Amino acid sequence: MADTKSGRYANSNATSGPSGSSSSTPPNISQLVQGPANLECKDFQEYLRTRQTPETLEKLYNYPPICLAVYRDLPEIARQFIIRILFVDQPVPQAVVSSWGAQRCAKEQQEATSCLTSLNVWRVTAIPGGLAAWELSPTFKKSVRQILLGGGKPWPMTNTLEKDSKPRDIAFLDSYAMSRWRCVLHYMVGTGNRNGTDAEAISPDAVRILLHANLMKRDERDGITITRQGFQFLLLDTRAQVWHFMMQYLDTCEERGISLPECLSMLFQLSFSTLGRDYSSEGMSHQMLAFLQHLREFGLVFQRKRKEGRFYPTRLALNVTSKESADATTAIVTMSASEEEERMQDRGYIVVETNYRVYAYTDSPLQVAVLGLFTELLYRFPNLVVGVLTRDSVRQALRGGITAEQIISYLEQYAHPNMKLVESAINSKSCLPPTVVDQIKLWEMERNRFTYTEGVVYNQFLSTTDFVTLRDYAQSIQVLVWQNEKTRTMVVQKNGHDDVKRYWKKYSKSAG
Amino acid sequence: MDAAADVSTSTKEAKESESSIDLLVIVLDTNPSQRIVRQNPQNLTQILEAMIAFGNAHLMQKAQNKLAVISCSHHASNFLYPLPGRQVEVRQIDGQYEVFSQVEKTIKQQLGNILMNAPRLSAPCESLLAGSIGRALCYISRLQRNTPPGIKMHSRVLVLTGSNECSSQYMTFMNVFFTAQKLGIVIDTCSLENPVSLLQQGCDITSGQFLKVTQLDGLLQYLLWVFLPSPQMRHKLVLPPPPKVDYRASCFCHRELIDIGYVCSVCLSVFCKYSPICTTCHTVFKAPAALPPKGKKKKKTEK
Amino acid sequence: MVNVMKGVLVKCDPAMKQFLLHLDEKLSLGRKFIIQDLDENHLFISTDIVEVLQVRVDELMDRISFPLHEKNA
Repeated sequence: MADTKSGRYANSNATSGPSGSSSSTPPNISQLVQGPANLECKDFQEYLRTRQTPETLEKLYNYPPICLAVYRDLPEIARQFIIRILFVDQPVPQAVVSSWGAQRCAKEQQEATSCLTSLNVWRVTAIPGGLAAWELSPTFKKSVRQILLGGGKPWPMTNTLEKDSKPRDIAFLDSYAMSRWRCVLHYMVGTGNRNGTDAEAISPDAVRILLHANLMKRDERDGITITRQGFQFLLLDTRAQVWHFMMQYLDTCEERGISLPECLSMLFQLSFSTLGRDYSSEGMSHQMLAFLQHLREFGLVFQRKRKEGRFYPTRLALNVTSKESADATTAIVTMSASEEEERMQDRGYIVVETNYRVYAYTDSPLQVAVLGLFTELLYRFPNLVVGVLTRDSVRQALRGGITAEQIISYLEQYAHPNMKLVESAINSKSCLPPTVVDQIKLWEMERNRFTYTEGVVYNQFLSTTDFVTLRDYAQSIQVLVWQNEKTRTMVVQKNGHDDVKRYWKKYSKSAG
Repeated sequence: MDAAADVSTSTKEAKESESSIDLLVIVLDTNPSQRIVRQNPQNLTQILEAMIAFGNAHLMQKAQNKLAVISCSHHASNFLYPLPGRQVEVRQIDGQYEVFSQVEKTIKQQLGNILMNAPRLSAPCESLLAGSIGRALCYISRLQRNTPPGIKMHSRVLVLTGSNECSSQYMTFMNVFFTAQKLGIVIDTCSLENPVSLLQQGCDITSGQFLKVTQLDGLLQYLLWVFLPSPQMRHKLVLPPPPKVDYRASCFCHRELIDIGYVCSVCLSVFCKYSPICTTCHTVFKAPAALPPKGKKKKKTEK
Repeated sequence: MVNVMKGVLVKCDPAMKQFLLHLDEKLSLGRKFIIQDLDENHLFISTDIVEVLQVRVDELMDRISFPLHEKNA
């Protein structure tokens, strides 16, 4: 009932209410509370919903790769609905569609339906007999059918190539991609120059994107420094980092004169390509070639020389569309067990014990810096850092706008493979000790025992009718925060006060 | 605390279903003695097209989804997809997604080879369905073993067949079904012929879906409706109710389905007629002096 | 007539509400700050006190929490 979103009292270090702390608050509330100070990570759906209009969406659906990405991003029930009406040529009555889902999941179904509507994947039409019906967007339908069954034009970059005399294998591509991506991260924490291995600095374009994304800011004293959002960015998993970064890139691509649908389509096409296979850049426009060079810089594709018409997409590009880090899952069929093991070793380096101690087998300054955000570092050895999660260290991170969920997911993501093999880890969903996970969440929640809403209280109404009238009005313009009919008291948002006051004056005049 | 735990479990669940791998193994009956193929050989092509589109639709659901297709005939069962070793290089020739064209090409090519090299058939014979399902189970359990820790894999088998009763494989079928049940693998069946009671039992045991499709024209639509949703989400959709399952066993002597028979007290083999020595375990029974109550037989009733 | 006052609506658990009532009663923040006690989860307080209040609450939380582990064990 009470809509506390926009009027929430925003105090920089008082209420950094993280999402997920209370079941009733919508997930985006933390962003609203903290305003622009926090990292806003949009997923693909949100991006489409907020940045695109129905017309531009329709334009996007002309590109089959985008449709495939959209389809895979839909809720599961929505995907089933779409596939069932994909081969039906007439509109399908809404009643029929809703009869496909079980009654007890009506809510989920409702969400799926509204999701499809808001993405303009389907729309309401009327069919003879006056029934409302769903009709798939013809463009979307055509593209998805084409993806599934064939027909139409081949996607760009699939021209046949001569066999590469020195084909690159997956292991090489992986290490190449990660080293390129780390370059960006190292640049952010300012360790790029000192570290000899990733010597290349990043291009001005990349810096511009970091600045645009607010991950870094220009400082008068010492050039460019990392922002709070930047630190939060570092805590994301690589997939989410790449996604966020590319979304920011797409924001800037229009001003570079590159068409957004084309870029998006190419990005998704890369993500649907096969790892370890070469593709051709023949016939690409200038803008797309420039885009390719940027992708090359960030490690999303590998290309030997700038002018070479051949490139290899890397895992970074492939993972753009998968919701979870799918690298482990794509590997199972193609990779032998030993290779798999090696890669795991490469990823996981953190051991968390039930006594809140954190052992990190790393010598990378980047990883140490990130770990230092929420742990108190105790010892450093050549290849090992020991820290401890304390209330103070975690609270400091929370004050910095990092959420408990982010800390936990970071620890989970980089957990040492041995952590995942412990029996308790196999049985439960997380490989971290449950005590530690719970405690981090509790530390977060104790900061959230209050929610503040700036507002105006109205009391001492003379009659219940007066009260009810005013309350209903406040509710109708959605500024009502709290009310009690017995005590005839109500609280409205601060920004709604003027409206309510005006209404009250008019009302009392007409009544009196 | 409770609230936080609630939220995290529900989001985790959603996350988990998104991150888990769904493996679908399709067992396609290519036996030329199926009635539907004998009527019109073109029908097999139609079935094949529908199956490929269905398989690709499965792959389209999630990036992590996996597909395998096994063909099953009267003499052998073969993998149609994926093939061992490196896949054949397929470049896009039209707007179809590269991976999907690869699936389509590989399956068609492979099936063509198999049909060309199949031995000639003089009389109609049964398909080796049970063996093929067994093979599917082996494949699934191999992948399951290779799954990295922390990642869940849900597997199921879809049998697409127009074969009649295959009661001679009764034992193999039962072994396969109970293995699948134990491994938590769902067996679905899409039958193009009269209900195959054995497969019906299999679906029932592993809590899979059984569907009889009478019209080939709507095959793809049926497949997409009933079999595309993963078993984990089927409770959210309205699917056809399970048919009444015929749980009759087949006797070991004549391979016929029987309502009442004799059961060996040692190995539980079923016979339609009394025999003094069990053909399976060679136990010698006493002569049936007093027939109904004390004899070495039990009444087997239809469930 | 209707009485109108500006301030901040605080939503919290009953225990924390009691703590706020206590602070108000003992004038710990130098003065009274609660404008109206709405119900067991809601209070209406004056705007300018929020920052001071938050510091006090943090202090309280610091006092009632104790280290879970020995750093130099």
